[in-house]
Amino acid sequence: MGEVIVITSGKGGVGKTTTTANIGIGLSELEKKVMVIDTDLGLRNLDVVMGLENRIVYNIVDVIEGNCRLKQALIKDKRFPELYLLPSAQTRDKSSVSPEQMRKLIDDIREDYDYILLDCPAGIEQGFQNAIAGADRSIIVTTPEVSAIRDADRIIGLLEMSGIRRNELIINRLRIDMVKRGDMMSVEDVTEILAVDLLGVIPDDEQVVIATNQGEPVVGEESLAGKSYLNICRRLTGEEIPMEDFMKPDGILERISSLFHRNQGV
Amino acid sequence: MSVSSVSIAKERLRNLLVSDRIQCTPDAVERLTTDLYHTVSKYMEIEQEDLDIKITRNDIHIRYMGENN
Repeated sequence: MGEVIVITSGKGGVGKTTTTANIGIGLSELEKKVMVIDTDLGLRNLDVVMGLENRIVYNIVDVIEGNCRLKQALIKDKRFPELYLLPSAQTRDKSSVSPEQMRKLIDDIREDYDYILLDCPAGIEQGFQNAIAGADRSIIVTTPEVSAIRDADRIIGLLEMSGIRRNELIINRLRIDMVKRGDMMSVEDVTEILAVDLLGVIPDDEQVVIATNQGEPVVGEESLAGKSYLNICRRLTGEEIPMEDFMKPDGILERISSLFHRNQGV
Repeated sequence: MSVSSVSIAKERLRNLLVSDRIQCTPDAVERLTTDLYHTVSKYMEIEQEDLDIKITRNDIHIRYMGENN
């Protein structure tokens, strides 16, 4: 029986779609059968982030309205073992689908997959209600900024009210240098304020922009952000992976400078 | 020394979240806190700073932190 996870944030532009794509790809590389669903009607993006935009024929609204069978709308990502995308519709609006229809769609397919990931639109209106309707649990994506955290808090309240009890946080685009000099809220600051469990932290990494430009995944061993996404996937499958400690001095220069500061303090 | 931008962010965020959570203005939160103190102090002798009021997503916690506790 598959697990249905909605990826949401409230605020737009914090990295929901990139997170959905990379967690979907990562889970598939861990030999799970995964479906990613773009629920942002009218603003189709997940296919673009995954580099699959040229393969779309039918979309989620076609499936719900019975214009095609689910199999015809699904896009199999051939680069990965068992990864399928159900794209959104670019020319329809949020009211083309109801929460009941979403719930039915998901109930029909959950037997066939290990994980179903729902990429949620920004906002708290009908698109949000549609996306969370069939979900068992959620991943809330935020960045360490006042507006994004405020919206995340609101979203967590709404998720709890709709009976979704398992809500975990990803802090995205953490600037380690800025945290160190006291100009960005730390992981501890954010988790203390939001009081939810932490699923992972993605450091700000230009590799994410480069990979997204190319429609390629970032998840994997090659970059800092990629490793963090991979660790998140492992945690989702139940592995015990400790949180990365980004605050420890790592480079030789930083080590020298921290020695210097320590001596000054004596 | 100037105040770090993080402590300003945290302070602003705390005020925002409290007023979001009970859906009122930051000013009303302050009045609620004062009113709660006045109500409790009708029944027991208490200093305002002994009363700790915390507003989370689902609850309002009122904690009395007097000497005897």
